[in-house]
Amino acid sequence: MRKSTLSRVLALTLSVMLVLTACGGNTANNEPSGTNETPGTTETPATETGSEPIKDLVISKVLTRELETFNTLYSQRAEDSENLTNLVDPLLEVDTYGKLVPAIAKEWGTEDGGLNWTFKLRDDVKWVDINGNEKANTTAWDFATGLEWIMNFHKNDSNNTSMPIEMIKGAEEYYEYTKALSPEEGKALTAGEGSKFLEMVGIEIPDDYTVIYHCITEKPYFDTVATYNCLYPMAQAMVDELGGVDGVTAMNNENMWYNGAYTMTSYIQGNEKIFTKNPLYWDKECDLFDTVTIKMVDSNDVAFQLYQSGELDYVILTESNVKTINENPNHEFHDYLVPDVPSKYSYQFHFNFQKNKEDGTPDTNWNTAIANTAFRKAWYYGLDLKEYYKRTNPITPMVCENNFYTMKGLVYNSKGTEYTELVRQQLGLPEQNGENMVRLDKAKFEEYKKQAMDELTALGVTFPVEVDHYISASSQTALDSANVLKQAMSNTLGDDFVKLNIKTYVSSLNKEVITPKLQSIALNGWGADYGDPQNYLGQETYGNDNAYYSGHYSNINFMTEDTEATKDLLAAYREYTRLVEEADAITTDLDARYDAYAKAEAYMLDNVLILPLNYSIGWSLSKVDVTSRMDAMFGIQNEKIKNWRTNKDGYTTEQAEKLEAEYEAGK
Amino acid sequence: MFKYTVKRLAQSFITVFIVVTLVFLLMRMLPTDYYFTEEQLMKFTEQQKNDQLLAAGLLDPVPEQLLRFYGQLLRLDFGESRRIQNGVPVVKVIGTKFEISMKMGLTSLGIAVVIGIVMGIIQAQYKNRIPDHLGTAYTIFVNAVPPLVSYSLVLIFGSRVLGLPSIYSSRNPGPSSILPIVCLAMLSIAWWALWTRRYMIDEINKDYIKLARIKGLPTKKIMRKHVLRNAFVPLAQYLPASILTTVGGSLLVERFFSVPGMGPLLTDSIHRYDLNVVQTLVIMYSVLSILGVFLGDVLMIVVDPRITLTNKGGTR
Amino acid sequence: MKDQNNTQNDILESEDDLFRFVEYSPEAAEMTGYSDYSYWKSVFQNFVKKKSAVVLTIIFILMVIFSFVALAIGKYDYKTLETNSSQSFISPDSEYWFGTDNIGRDYWCQVWYASQTSIKLAFIVAVGECLLGITIGCVWGYVRKLDGFFTELYNLINNVPMIIYMTLIALLIGQSFKIMAISLICFDWLVMARNVRNLVIIYRDREYNLASRTLGTPVHRVLIKNILPQLISVIILRLALSIPGTITMETTLSYLGLGLDINTPSLGILLRNARSYFLDYPYLLIFPAVIVSIITVTFYLIGNAFSDASDPRNHV
Repeated sequence: MRKSTLSRVLALTLSVMLVLTACGGNTANNEPSGTNETPGTTETPATETGSEPIKDLVISKVLTRELETFNTLYSQRAEDSENLTNLVDPLLEVDTYGKLVPAIAKEWGTEDGGLNWTFKLRDDVKWVDINGNEKANTTAWDFATGLEWIMNFHKNDSNNTSMPIEMIKGAEEYYEYTKALSPEEGKALTAGEGSKFLEMVGIEIPDDYTVIYHCITEKPYFDTVATYNCLYPMAQAMVDELGGVDGVTAMNNENMWYNGAYTMTSYIQGNEKIFTKNPLYWDKECDLFDTVTIKMVDSNDVAFQLYQSGELDYVILTESNVKTINENPNHEFHDYLVPDVPSKYSYQFHFNFQKNKEDGTPDTNWNTAIANTAFRKAWYYGLDLKEYYKRTNPITPMVCENNFYTMKGLVYNSKGTEYTELVRQQLGLPEQNGENMVRLDKAKFEEYKKQAMDELTALGVTFPVEVDHYISASSQTALDSANVLKQAMSNTLGDDFVKLNIKTYVSSLNKEVITPKLQSIALNGWGADYGDPQNYLGQETYGNDNAYYSGHYSNINFMTEDTEATKDLLAAYREYTRLVEEADAITTDLDARYDAYAKAEAYMLDNVLILPLNYSIGWSLSKVDVTSRMDAMFGIQNEKIKNWRTNKDGYTTEQAEKLEAEYEAGK
Repeated sequence: MFKYTVKRLAQSFITVFIVVTLVFLLMRMLPTDYYFTEEQLMKFTEQQKNDQLLAAGLLDPVPEQLLRFYGQLLRLDFGESRRIQNGVPVVKVIGTKFEISMKMGLTSLGIAVVIGIVMGIIQAQYKNRIPDHLGTAYTIFVNAVPPLVSYSLVLIFGSRVLGLPSIYSSRNPGPSSILPIVCLAMLSIAWWALWTRRYMIDEINKDYIKLARIKGLPTKKIMRKHVLRNAFVPLAQYLPASILTTVGGSLLVERFFSVPGMGPLLTDSIHRYDLNVVQTLVIMYSVLSILGVFLGDVLMIVVDPRITLTNKGGTR
Repeated sequence: MKDQNNTQNDILESEDDLFRFVEYSPEAAEMTGYSDYSYWKSVFQNFVKKKSAVVLTIIFILMVIFSFVALAIGKYDYKTLETNSSQSFISPDSEYWFGTDNIGRDYWCQVWYASQTSIKLAFIVAVGECLLGITIGCVWGYVRKLDGFFTELYNLINNVPMIIYMTLIALLIGQSFKIMAISLICFDWLVMARNVRNLVIIYRDREYNLASRTLGTPVHRVLIKNILPQLISVIILRLALSIPGTITMETTLSYLGLGLDINTPSLGILLRNARSYFLDYPYLLIFPAVIVSIITVTFYLIGNAFSDASDPRNHV
């Protein structure tokens, strides 16, 4: 049995994101330190104001994003990784455009279309302690130790195992092997020379500074996985120093080893963290802050006050902040509104094709309706989300418009064309105009609505169809958004057609709603784990146990019988799945691969198996040039505070626009 | 008295035992899915989930889990945290937060008791005159506005107008503790003032006080020797409990001002299904509050010898 | 004879001035030795003397009535409110009497609708807590044999942090008005019962009760006639404070996501939301805050006035 294939990062549900805005993609903001010469990106424009950069950066995060572990290998939550990415470095990182660049590996590549991958490591990367004192060299063996740790059932609680199991030869077998051992035996295993691990798993250490990974099949995108938790290093000497496995599990900032840009010199849970520049950091050219302080705050309102009093260098604005500042030309921050960093999540409406009612019986009315192609197409052509986008972005709502499933910017073909652009051409959609949603079509909507109502009434469906939408009970923001959505549906789809019911869960969407299949629609974002459309499209394939959405949200995998109501839907899913599998089989010609995926995605969108919702792009006040940050659509590097440009006075809207333009031009 | 104390303590021990068992069972009522994070739920296969639960002993029959838990308790082993700080012993997790909540709580309680009682006395003495009305207005205001709002007001006023730090900083604990302490004290001042006033007025109206007045005792002496002492009896009951519960911290205040204390810990650990932390906290809280009630009773007897808790002949 | 009669009559007449036979009447006989003092009448009379309390009571009653009128005369109906981003944050004007909220919905109907919800909840909880609390408190304090049992029960409920119960209730049972009311009653009676119990302990061994018992008065009569009147002032005060307490508790629970279900707006929820906006749009805070304040202040003053009035020693 193949275990879960694609690993993925599912964004928090949109609602949660909106609520805890600070949390969402926004957490990290800071200012880059120092000089204007940012290595790695040659085209760094110095701002003409001649502003002074910040040396000690202060940013905030909301309290719910507290760190739970110091072990990058163990961490599966974005809340952990966004801190840990500053403390330990992996093989590769990304530049401001999301392109892979060397980190610990100075060269890497594959010669056989992605079956075997060789990484050549730098020999000057040091492990240091909290005070920056040298402990050891980072060598290829540390990557073997890291992977062994992940795949060892008794060491890592199965965290982060999904991608190695899917991609690396022997990883699953090793996982099963360790599971059969007693905890003591399992914990005693290592990845040293002659170990069971090296024998079983497709990883090879020819010398101290070379790692070779052997994939199960051709994985042309395997190198993008090197930015993700599962391929991070760990020093066996540290494990020994900490007294074995339990010591590592419980390690903290004071006894862990670092090889990243900073060491965490102070950690007060629920209050603040201080990162201090690692004096022995391998990248001597880069700009780092002397210290970075992360303050934990209750809400972004508090963060805004801190920014006002000069205690913070970056803040995500809440909806009312943006409105107030924007509408008052005399406001102290009126000219300082800058667009926030887009999150790496692409949000969708995920329909549930096998919905249950709260008593556990199938909700036949909804299930029949949503299986109807015309019904879904009516949503596609009719549902105007502009008002909904204003929730995220009151000033320029249409930048949130999303017409695709895959996040834009994930991959580019050899001609430099962005992947979703390929999808757009396949769909024949016009380019976004910033005014209205380009996919809307009044005439088609009316036609499909009428068709759907005729067809479905014949099948015994009663209108309006009730749509159950679940949001977090503690989140007013989510409730407001849901109400706006309800209004949008009522205005554009019509009260005679659908009716949105807003319902709540208390602590966990997955546990309270998704597992019992209560939702009609789930508004959910997906951020990639690795750089390939397969990570997106693979989640929706039919009949595949590893397809996350098919097995959880749409529940299409549980629909096995072709009936009058469902045969069209299942046919569409089968065709889509075939297209995806076809695309995945192309491993040598990446352009052809992306074209094939674009075709599959266009097919999915045309049949409205999912309905694209939005991107999350809000507004902020910032002393950090957001375009100088790493911008990866995959991996955990986005929050790495490296080479950030800053300006003590804060960036004005005008400066930000200019930087944005320069950034776009540099693409 | 000694015998009574021993009996009470034995009883308390049983109470703690029952409470802990109850919480243990309550937490086991939640579906096991709560053991996993949202991310794990997404990425784990059913098999992997099952294996994890098995390894954690959560699939064993509940009585077996309970026995194991008792065994650990007997060895004073409270286990390790899983989500609050992965792998770190619970005692250590709580230990770091304990101190700060207690310091802040005791400071604010001290302030509140002093100011509150003084305020109550003044109000009672000047009943229905301006000081009384002012005090009443304060009490009303504090009780009228839900803390969520009044804390926001304190935060805004303190940070904007007075320029005080709006979040707690361990590098600057003095000034940055002011606003949280004000918030904590605000309500309890009102509480102490309210009840001091209430009990004193009840006392002032009693006949023996009237007699004392007629006898010509100076008001000051009446107030100090008779009224306050008698009014303090019902108040005394609450003092030990208030002191002990300060270590629990305050959920809202600590969240608002990012104080790294005990307040939010319980909610967080429940939501994250960090069972060891929940259980340890519950044991701690119940020991403290039972002790609080007991000491309250003792204190009440000390201040008012007429009160007995033990069975004397002739009463029932 | 006649003369005699006359004389006698004369004598009788003059004696009539001094003495007269009274017709026998059982009611009048009962009156002998009684003044026309009635406890509750005096309470009422004393209460009415407190102008501020009376005025506020009237305002409160008018407000409750008005909340219905307000919903009827408002231009928007709560059930059919529409969101509209172009109408957001409009200050109060002739169209939107209380302005609009952040997503452009009329605030007037929300505020009044929420007021009704909150008042209803607070009242139900107050009455429920009172009935349960007094009954249990009296028995607990008076009957020594049950002291252990009730102390145990108190500890049990009180020591498992409320947040655990509320989380589990929300997760396993659900969230609604009814569930909220019942769970709040189930926790709040504790405070009342403890207050009552402590006072009962103080009073039960007083000499007059000893005398009463010696004379063979049954327990319930001692409780109701001898002890309860002593407690009324405290009970009323506690009752009055429980109303703002419920509103506050509801706000806090809403903040944690454990409050009423999301489609039932309460003042607590409105205040919670206004927290983020009130600096820029103060009216969003002011309207619900004023209504909450009216409720709270009214009950506080009623409570105080009533408890003063209910103290028999203030009656003459």
